[in-house]
Amino acid sequence: MYKTGLYACVRCLPVVLLVVLALSQIYLVKTTSLSPWAGGGFGMFSTPDAPRSRVVRAYVLTPGVRREVEIPGSLADAALRAAAMPTDPRLRALALEIARVPTPETAPPRAVVVEVWRMEYDPETLAPSPRIVKSLEAPVE
Amino acid sequence: MSDAAARTKGGFRRGLAAIKGMDAFELALRPTLVDLLLRPVGGWTVRPFTLALAALGLLAPGLLRAPVLWLGLTVLTGARVVLDWPLPDNHAYLLFYWCLAVTLSLTLTPGGPGKTLSLNARLLIGLVFAFSVLWKLALSPDFMNGTFFGVTMLADPRFEGFTRVAGGLSAEGYDALREFVLGAAVPYGAADVPEIPPRLAALSHFLTYWTITIEGGVAVFFLLPARLAASKLRDYLLVIFCVTTYAVANVDGFGWLLLAMGAAQAGEGRGEKEKNRVRLLYVAAFLLVIFYRYYTFSRLL
Repeated sequence: MYKTGLYACVRCLPVVLLVVLALSQIYLVKTTSLSPWAGGGFGMFSTPDAPRSRVVRAYVLTPGVRREVEIPGSLADAALRAAAMPTDPRLRALALEIARVPTPETAPPRAVVVEVWRMEYDPETLAPSPRIVKSLEAPVE
Repeated sequence: MSDAAARTKGGFRRGLAAIKGMDAFELALRPTLVDLLLRPVGGWTVRPFTLALAALGLLAPGLLRAPVLWLGLTVLTGARVVLDWPLPDNHAYLLFYWCLAVTLSLTLTPGGPGKTLSLNARLLIGLVFAFSVLWKLALSPDFMNGTFFGVTMLADPRFEGFTRVAGGLSAEGYDALREFVLGAAVPYGAADVPEIPPRLAALSHFLTYWTITIEGGVAVFFLLPARLAASKLRDYLLVIFCVTTYAVANVDGFGWLLLAMGAAQAGEGRGEKEKNRVRLLYVAAFLLVIFYRYYTFSRLL
Protein backbone atom coordinates (compact mmCIF):
# COMPACT_ATOMS: atom_id res chain seq x y z
CA MET A 1 0.00 0.00 0.00
CA TYR A 2 2.81 2.38 1.06
CA LYS A 3 4.83 1.40 -2.00
CA THR A 4 1.85 1.93 -4.33
CA GLY A 5 1.19 5.41 -2.91
CA LEU A 6 4.84 6.36 -3.21
CA TYR A 7 4.95 5.07 -6.79
CA ALA A 8 1.87 7.12 -7.69
CA CYS A 9 3.48 10.24 -6.15
CA VAL A 10 6.73 9.74 -8.08
CA ARG A 11 4.81 8.95 -11.26
CA CYS A 12 2.89 12.21 -10.94
CA LEU A 13 5.77 14.28 -9.54
CA PRO A 14 5.42 16.94 -12.29
CA VAL A 15 1.77 17.42 -11.32
CA VAL A 16 2.63 17.65 -7.63
CA LEU A 17 5.36 20.23 -8.38
CA LEU A 18 2.98 22.29 -10.51
CA VAL A 19 0.39 22.47 -7.73
CA VAL A 20 2.93 23.24 -4.98
CA LEU A 21 4.65 25.98 -6.98
CA ALA A 22 1.42 27.53 -8.20
CA LEU A 23 0.01 27.68 -4.65
CA SER A 24 3.31 29.11 -3.36
CA GLN A 25 3.17 31.76 -6.08
CA ILE A 26 -0.31 32.83 -4.98
CA TYR A 27 0.98 33.10 -1.39
CA LEU A 28 3.99 35.19 -2.52
CA VAL A 29 1.80 37.50 -4.61
CA LYS A 30 -0.36 38.16 -1.56
CA THR A 31 2.51 38.55 0.93
CA THR A 32 5.51 39.96 -0.95
CA SER A 33 3.92 41.84 -3.87
CA LEU A 34 5.31 39.35 -6.40
CA SER A 35 3.90 40.28 -9.80
CA PRO A 36 1.08 37.85 -10.72
CA TRP A 37 2.82 37.32 -14.08
CA ALA A 38 5.95 35.94 -12.40
CA GLY A 39 6.67 32.91 -10.24
CA GLY A 40 4.96 30.13 -12.21
CA GLY A 41 1.42 30.44 -10.88
CA PHE A 42 -0.20 30.89 -14.30
CA GLY A 43 -1.39 34.42 -13.52
CA MET A 44 -0.05 35.82 -16.81
CA PHE A 45 -2.64 37.54 -18.97
CA SER A 46 -4.95 38.12 -15.98
CA THR A 47 -3.78 41.62 -15.03
CA PRO A 48 -1.74 44.43 -16.58
CA ASP A 49 0.59 44.27 -13.53
CA ALA A 50 3.51 42.52 -15.29
CA PRO A 51 7.12 42.96 -14.06
CA ARG A 52 8.05 44.99 -17.16
CA SER A 53 5.12 47.35 -16.66
CA ARG A 54 6.30 48.18 -13.14
CA VAL A 55 8.64 51.14 -12.76
CA VAL A 56 11.62 51.34 -10.41
CA ARG A 57 12.66 54.80 -9.23
CA ALA A 58 15.76 55.58 -7.23
CA TYR A 59 16.75 58.66 -5.21
CA VAL A 60 20.18 59.36 -3.80
CA LEU A 61 20.06 61.28 -0.49
CA THR A 62 22.90 63.58 0.43
CA PRO A 63 22.64 66.19 3.23
CA GLY A 64 19.90 68.59 2.11
CA VAL A 65 19.43 67.03 -1.37
CA ARG A 66 17.15 64.25 -2.68
CA ARG A 67 18.17 63.57 -6.28
CA GLU A 68 16.41 61.11 -8.60
CA VAL A 69 18.96 59.09 -10.56
CA GLU A 70 18.56 57.07 -13.70
CA ILE A 71 19.18 53.37 -13.14
CA PRO A 72 22.19 52.41 -15.30
CA GLY A 73 21.83 49.73 -17.96
CA SER A 74 24.20 47.46 -16.04
CA LEU A 75 21.60 47.27 -13.24
CA ALA A 76 18.59 46.76 -15.56
CA ASP A 77 18.34 43.04 -14.77
CA ALA A 78 18.58 43.61 -10.99
CA ALA A 79 15.96 46.37 -11.27
CA LEU A 80 13.62 44.10 -13.25
CA ARG A 81 13.96 41.34 -10.65
CA ALA A 82 13.31 43.89 -7.90
CA ALA A 83 10.24 45.10 -9.79
CA ALA A 84 8.94 41.54 -10.18
CA MET A 85 9.41 40.72 -6.50
CA PRO A 86 10.29 43.72 -4.35
CA THR A 87 11.65 42.02 -1.24
CA ASP A 88 13.74 44.01 1.26
CA PRO A 89 17.03 42.20 0.48
CA ARG A 90 16.53 42.70 -3.26
CA LEU A 91 15.71 46.41 -2.92
CA ARG A 92 18.59 46.94 -0.46
CA ALA A 93 21.12 45.26 -2.78
CA LEU A 94 19.88 47.39 -5.67
CA ALA A 95 20.06 50.54 -3.55
CA LEU A 96 23.68 49.86 -2.58
CA GLU A 97 24.61 49.38 -6.24
CA ILE A 98 22.85 52.62 -7.12
CA ALA A 99 24.81 54.45 -4.39
CA ARG A 100 27.87 54.07 -6.65
CA VAL A 101 26.21 56.05 -9.46
CA PRO A 102 27.94 59.45 -9.66
CA THR A 103 25.84 62.53 -8.84
CA PRO A 104 26.69 66.27 -9.05
CA GLU A 105 26.84 66.45 -5.24
CA THR A 106 30.28 66.42 -3.69
CA ALA A 107 29.16 64.91 -0.40
CA PRO A 108 28.95 61.11 -0.28
CA PRO A 109 25.40 59.68 -0.29
CA ARG A 110 23.80 59.20 3.12
CA ALA A 111 21.14 56.79 1.85
CA VAL A 112 19.40 55.57 -1.30
CA VAL A 113 15.63 55.26 -1.63
CA VAL A 114 14.30 52.68 -4.09
CA GLU A 115 10.63 52.70 -5.04
CA VAL A 116 8.65 50.21 -7.12
CA TRP A 117 5.51 51.56 -8.81
CA ARG A 118 2.73 50.01 -10.81
CA MET A 119 -0.24 51.37 -12.72
CA GLU A 120 -3.84 50.91 -11.70
CA TYR A 121 -6.57 51.53 -14.26
CA ASP A 122 -10.09 52.88 -14.10
CA PRO A 123 -12.26 50.08 -15.54
CA GLU A 124 -14.51 52.54 -17.42
CA THR A 125 -12.04 55.05 -18.87
CA LEU A 126 -8.78 53.04 -18.59
CA ALA A 127 -7.29 56.17 -16.97
CA PRO A 128 -4.01 55.12 -15.34
CA SER A 129 -3.04 56.05 -11.78
CA PRO A 130 0.44 55.22 -10.45
CA ARG A 131 0.45 53.31 -7.15
CA ILE A 132 3.48 52.55 -5.05
CA VAL A 133 4.11 48.84 -4.53
CA LYS A 134 7.02 49.17 -2.15
CA SER A 135 9.60 51.71 -1.00
CA LEU A 136 12.80 51.15 0.93
CA GLU A 137 15.44 53.53 2.25
CA ALA A 138 18.84 51.90 2.52
CA PRO A 139 21.51 53.71 4.54
CA VAL A 140 24.90 53.86 2.84
CA GLU A 141 27.82 53.07 5.11
CA MET B 1 -5.35 13.06 -63.33
CA SER B 2 -1.83 13.97 -64.46
CA ASP B 3 1.20 12.00 -63.30
CA ALA B 4 2.46 14.89 -61.13
CA ALA B 5 -0.93 15.31 -59.45
CA ALA B 6 -1.14 11.59 -58.75
CA ARG B 7 2.35 11.59 -57.26
CA THR B 8 1.52 14.61 -55.09
CA LYS B 9 -1.67 12.95 -53.86
CA GLY B 10 0.26 9.76 -53.13
CA GLY B 11 2.91 11.70 -51.21
CA PHE B 12 0.24 13.48 -49.17
CA ARG B 13 -1.42 10.16 -48.32
CA ARG B 14 1.89 8.66 -47.25
CA GLY B 15 2.49 11.71 -45.03
CA LEU B 16 -0.88 11.26 -43.35
CA ALA B 17 -0.27 7.54 -42.94
CA ALA B 18 3.12 8.25 -41.34
CA ILE B 19 1.50 10.57 -38.77
CA LYS B 20 -1.27 8.07 -38.08
CA GLY B 21 1.31 5.30 -37.74
CA MET B 22 3.36 7.13 -35.09
CA ASP B 23 2.63 6.16 -31.53
CA ALA B 24 1.36 8.86 -29.18
CA PHE B 25 4.65 8.94 -27.34
CA GLU B 26 6.63 9.76 -30.45
CA LEU B 27 4.00 12.24 -31.61
CA ALA B 28 4.49 14.14 -28.35
CA LEU B 29 8.27 13.96 -28.12
CA ARG B 30 9.12 15.13 -31.63
CA PRO B 31 7.07 18.37 -31.45
CA THR B 32 8.56 19.06 -28.00
CA LEU B 33 12.05 18.92 -29.47
CA VAL B 34 10.98 21.03 -32.47
CA ASP B 35 9.57 23.57 -29.98
CA LEU B 36 12.91 23.66 -28.16
CA LEU B 37 14.76 24.25 -31.42
CA LEU B 38 12.40 26.92 -32.74
CA ARG B 39 12.12 28.82 -29.46
CA PRO B 40 15.34 28.15 -27.56
CA VAL B 41 15.20 28.73 -23.83
CA GLY B 42 17.55 30.21 -21.23
CA GLY B 43 20.78 32.21 -21.37
CA TRP B 44 24.22 31.17 -22.56
CA THR B 45 24.68 28.66 -19.74
CA VAL B 46 21.59 26.67 -20.70
CA ARG B 47 20.66 27.41 -24.30
CA PRO B 48 23.46 25.75 -26.31
CA PHE B 49 23.15 22.51 -24.33
CA THR B 50 19.36 22.47 -24.71
CA LEU B 51 19.68 23.05 -28.45
CA ALA B 52 22.30 20.32 -28.80
CA LEU B 53 20.18 17.76 -26.94
CA ALA B 54 17.03 18.67 -28.89
CA ALA B 55 18.91 18.38 -32.19
CA LEU B 56 20.42 15.04 -31.15
CA GLY B 57 17.00 13.68 -30.24
CA LEU B 58 15.66 14.51 -33.69
CA LEU B 59 18.74 13.54 -35.71
CA ALA B 60 19.43 10.20 -34.03
CA PRO B 61 16.16 8.21 -33.90
CA GLY B 62 17.59 5.90 -31.24
CA LEU B 63 18.04 8.81 -28.85
CA LEU B 64 14.48 10.10 -29.06
CA ARG B 65 13.44 7.73 -26.28
CA ALA B 66 16.72 7.75 -24.36
CA PRO B 67 16.05 8.60 -20.67
CA VAL B 68 19.44 10.28 -20.38
CA LEU B 69 18.53 12.79 -23.12
CA TRP B 70 15.32 13.75 -21.35
CA LEU B 71 17.01 13.81 -17.97
CA GLY B 72 19.47 16.30 -19.46
CA LEU B 73 16.63 18.43 -20.80
CA THR B 74 14.87 18.25 -17.41
CA VAL B 75 17.98 19.47 -15.61
CA LEU B 76 18.56 22.26 -18.14
CA THR B 77 14.97 23.52 -18.25
CA GLY B 78 14.83 23.32 -14.44
CA ALA B 79 18.11 25.22 -14.15
CA ARG B 80 16.72 27.91 -16.42
CA VAL B 81 13.74 28.40 -14.09
CA VAL B 82 16.00 28.59 -11.04
CA LEU B 83 18.60 30.90 -12.62
CA ASP B 84 16.04 33.36 -13.97
CA TRP B 85 13.64 33.20 -11.01
CA PRO B 86 11.20 34.96 -10.59
CA LEU B 87 11.16 36.21 -14.17
CA PRO B 88 10.54 33.13 -16.39
CA ASP B 89 7.21 32.98 -18.17
CA ASN B 90 4.68 30.34 -17.23
CA HIS B 91 5.61 28.08 -20.11
CA ALA B 92 9.21 27.86 -18.82
CA TYR B 93 7.82 26.08 -15.76
CA LEU B 94 5.51 23.95 -17.87
CA LEU B 95 8.40 22.92 -20.14
CA PHE B 96 10.36 21.77 -17.09
CA TYR B 97 7.38 19.77 -15.71
CA TRP B 98 6.88 18.24 -19.14
CA CYS B 99 10.52 17.17 -19.60
CA LEU B 100 10.37 15.67 -16.10
CA ALA B 101 7.18 13.80 -17.04
CA VAL B 102 8.88 12.36 -20.14
CA THR B 103 11.93 11.32 -18.09
CA LEU B 104 9.78 9.64 -15.43
CA SER B 105 7.68 7.88 -18.08
CA LEU B 106 10.80 6.46 -19.74
CA THR B 107 12.44 5.50 -16.45
CA LEU B 108 9.61 4.13 -14.35
CA THR B 109 7.71 2.23 -17.01
CA PRO B 110 10.17 1.05 -19.63
CA GLY B 111 7.68 -1.50 -21.00
CA GLY B 112 4.93 1.01 -21.74
CA PRO B 113 5.74 4.63 -20.95
CA GLY B 114 2.70 5.96 -22.84
CA LYS B 115 0.27 5.66 -19.93
CA THR B 116 2.37 7.62 -17.45
CA LEU B 117 3.04 10.35 -20.00
CA SER B 118 -0.61 10.49 -21.02
CA LEU B 119 -1.77 10.83 -17.40
CA ASN B 120 0.75 13.59 -16.70
CA ALA B 121 -0.15 15.41 -19.91
CA ARG B 122 -3.86 15.39 -19.14
CA LEU B 123 -3.43 16.54 -15.53
CA LEU B 124 -0.79 19.16 -16.33
CA ILE B 125 -2.92 20.74 -19.07
CA GLY B 126 -6.04 20.64 -16.89
CA LEU B 127 -4.25 22.23 -13.93
CA VAL B 128 -2.50 24.92 -16.00
CA PHE B 129 -5.88 26.06 -17.28
CA ALA B 130 -7.53 25.65 -13.86
CA PHE B 131 -4.95 27.98 -12.22
CA SER B 132 -5.21 30.37 -15.13
CA VAL B 133 -8.99 30.55 -14.68
CA LEU B 134 -8.61 30.91 -10.90
CA TRP B 135 -6.43 33.98 -11.46
CA LYS B 136 -8.77 35.50 -14.00
CA LEU B 137 -12.01 34.79 -12.13
CA ALA B 138 -11.09 35.22 -8.50
CA LEU B 139 -7.60 36.50 -7.76
CA SER B 140 -7.14 39.34 -10.24
CA PRO B 141 -9.50 42.30 -9.91
CA ASP B 142 -8.59 43.48 -13.44
CA PHE B 143 -9.79 40.66 -15.65
CA MET B 144 -13.54 40.18 -15.48
CA ASN B 145 -14.27 43.92 -15.67
CA GLY B 146 -12.48 44.11 -19.03
CA THR B 147 -9.58 46.23 -17.78
CA PHE B 148 -6.91 43.67 -18.66
CA PHE B 149 -7.84 43.35 -22.33
CA GLY B 150 -8.66 47.06 -22.62
CA VAL B 151 -5.19 48.00 -21.39
CA THR B 152 -3.26 45.16 -23.02
CA MET B 153 -4.73 45.71 -26.50
CA LEU B 154 -3.37 49.25 -26.33
CA ALA B 155 -0.21 48.93 -24.27
CA ASP B 156 1.26 45.65 -25.58
CA PRO B 157 2.76 46.23 -29.05
CA ARG B 158 2.19 42.57 -29.93
CA PHE B 159 -1.55 43.30 -30.02
CA GLU B 160 -1.34 46.43 -32.18
CA GLY B 161 -2.31 44.82 -35.51
CA PHE B 162 -5.25 42.94 -34.01
CA THR B 163 -6.42 45.96 -31.98
CA ARG B 164 -6.38 48.28 -34.96
CA VAL B 165 -8.07 45.79 -37.34
CA ALA B 166 -10.69 44.38 -34.96
CA GLY B 167 -11.13 47.57 -32.96
CA GLY B 168 -11.43 49.77 -36.06
CA LEU B 169 -8.74 52.22 -34.94
CA SER B 170 -6.66 54.50 -37.14
CA ALA B 171 -2.91 54.73 -36.53
CA GLU B 172 -3.34 58.15 -34.90
CA GLY B 173 -6.28 57.00 -32.76
CA TYR B 174 -4.34 53.96 -31.61
CA ASP B 175 -1.21 55.98 -30.79
CA ALA B 176 -3.18 58.56 -28.79
CA LEU B 177 -4.94 55.88 -26.72
CA ARG B 178 -1.69 53.96 -26.25
CA GLU B 179 0.14 57.01 -24.89
CA PHE B 180 -2.74 57.71 -22.53
CA VAL B 181 -2.86 54.16 -21.21
CA LEU B 182 0.92 54.06 -20.76
CA GLY B 183 0.62 57.07 -18.49
CA ALA B 184 2.47 59.56 -20.69
CA ALA B 185 -0.04 62.24 -19.72
CA VAL B 186 0.01 61.55 -15.94
CA PRO B 187 -0.92 63.73 -14.07
CA TYR B 188 -3.87 64.61 -16.30
CA GLY B 189 -7.05 66.60 -15.97
CA ALA B 190 -10.58 65.31 -16.58
CA ALA B 191 -10.52 66.90 -20.04
CA ASP B 192 -7.46 64.82 -21.00
CA VAL B 193 -9.28 61.51 -20.60
CA PRO B 194 -10.12 60.27 -24.11
CA GLU B 195 -13.26 58.28 -24.84
CA ILE B 196 -12.66 54.58 -25.37
CA PRO B 197 -14.33 53.77 -28.73
CA PRO B 198 -17.44 51.60 -28.14
CA ARG B 199 -16.19 48.97 -30.62
CA LEU B 200 -12.92 48.64 -28.70
CA ALA B 201 -14.76 48.39 -25.38
CA ALA B 202 -17.09 45.73 -26.82
CA LEU B 203 -14.09 43.84 -28.21
CA SER B 204 -12.33 43.80 -24.84
CA HIS B 205 -15.48 42.47 -23.17
CA PHE B 206 -15.91 39.82 -25.85
CA LEU B 207 -12.28 38.69 -25.43
CA THR B 208 -12.72 38.59 -21.65
CA TYR B 209 -15.73 36.26 -21.79
CA TRP B 210 -14.37 34.17 -24.67
CA THR B 211 -11.10 33.59 -22.83
CA ILE B 212 -12.72 32.59 -19.57
CA THR B 213 -15.15 30.27 -21.40
CA ILE B 214 -12.58 28.46 -23.53
CA GLU B 215 -9.98 28.21 -20.73
CA GLY B 216 -12.63 27.03 -18.26
CA GLY B 217 -13.80 24.45 -20.81
CA VAL B 218 -10.27 23.11 -21.34
CA ALA B 219 -9.71 22.89 -17.56
CA VAL B 220 -12.97 21.04 -16.85
CA PHE B 221 -12.79 18.57 -19.73
CA PHE B 222 -9.11 17.74 -19.22
CA LEU B 223 -9.68 17.09 -15.53
CA LEU B 224 -12.73 14.86 -16.15
CA PRO B 225 -11.94 11.13 -15.94
CA ALA B 226 -11.02 9.92 -19.45
CA ARG B 227 -13.56 7.10 -19.21
CA LEU B 228 -16.44 9.61 -19.39
CA ALA B 229 -17.69 10.19 -22.93
CA ALA B 230 -17.82 13.97 -22.37
CA SER B 231 -14.08 14.08 -21.75
CA LYS B 232 -13.53 13.41 -25.48
CA LEU B 233 -14.36 17.06 -26.07
CA ARG B 234 -11.11 18.08 -24.38
CA ASP B 235 -8.86 17.82 -27.42
CA TYR B 236 -11.18 19.84 -29.65
CA LEU B 237 -11.34 22.59 -27.00
CA LEU B 238 -7.55 22.68 -26.63
CA VAL B 239 -7.08 22.90 -30.40
CA ILE B 240 -9.71 25.68 -30.61
CA PHE B 241 -7.92 27.51 -27.77
CA CYS B 242 -4.55 27.28 -29.54
CA VAL B 243 -5.72 28.25 -33.03
CA THR B 244 -7.71 31.24 -31.73
CA THR B 245 -5.46 32.49 -28.92
CA TYR B 246 -2.11 32.33 -30.68
CA ALA B 247 -3.48 34.08 -33.76
CA VAL B 248 -3.93 37.13 -31.52
CA ALA B 249 -1.29 36.72 -28.80
CA ASN B 250 1.67 35.19 -30.58
CA VAL B 251 3.29 33.11 -27.87
CA ASP B 252 3.93 30.23 -30.27
CA GLY B 253 6.38 28.40 -27.98
CA PHE B 254 3.63 27.95 -25.39
CA GLY B 255 1.14 26.93 -28.09
CA TRP B 256 3.46 24.24 -29.48
CA LEU B 257 4.16 22.89 -26.01
CA LEU B 258 0.44 22.59 -25.21
CA LEU B 259 -0.19 20.87 -28.55
CA ALA B 260 2.69 18.42 -28.01
CA MET B 261 1.31 17.60 -24.57
CA GLY B 262 -2.18 17.28 -26.02
CA ALA B 263 -0.95 14.80 -28.63
CA ALA B 264 0.51 12.62 -25.85
CA GLN B 265 -2.90 11.92 -24.35
CA ALA B 266 -5.15 12.15 -27.41
CA GLY B 267 -5.67 8.40 -27.62
CA GLU B 268 -7.13 7.96 -24.14
CA GLY B 269 -10.73 6.74 -24.24
CA ARG B 270 -10.88 6.73 -28.06
CA GLY B 271 -11.24 4.23 -30.89
CA GLU B 272 -8.60 3.94 -33.62
CA LYS B 273 -10.42 6.10 -36.19
CA GLU B 274 -11.18 8.98 -33.87
CA LYS B 275 -7.70 8.79 -32.35
CA ASN B 276 -6.18 9.28 -35.80
CA ARG B 277 -8.48 12.21 -36.53
CA VAL B 278 -7.53 13.97 -33.29
CA ARG B 279 -3.81 13.35 -33.87
CA LEU B 280 -4.04 14.90 -37.33
CA LEU B 281 -5.84 17.88 -35.77
CA TYR B 282 -2.96 18.38 -33.32
CA VAL B 283 -0.37 18.21 -36.11
CA ALA B 284 -2.39 20.62 -38.28
CA ALA B 285 -2.72 23.07 -35.37
CA PHE B 286 1.02 22.80 -34.67
CA LEU B 287 1.77 23.74 -38.30
CA LEU B 288 -0.83 26.53 -38.32
CA VAL B 289 0.76 28.20 -35.28
CA ILE B 290 4.05 28.43 -37.24
CA PHE B 291 2.29 30.66 -39.78
CA TYR B 292 0.83 32.99 -37.14
CA ARG B 293 4.21 34.63 -36.55
CA TYR B 294 4.51 35.66 -40.19
CA TYR B 295 0.90 36.22 -41.27
CA THR B 296 -0.10 38.68 -38.59
CA PHE B 297 -3.01 41.08 -38.30
CA SER B 298 -0.56 43.93 -39.00
CA ARG B 299 -0.36 42.71 -42.61
CA LEU B 300 -4.04 43.59 -43.04
CA LEU B 301 -3.42 47.28 -42.26
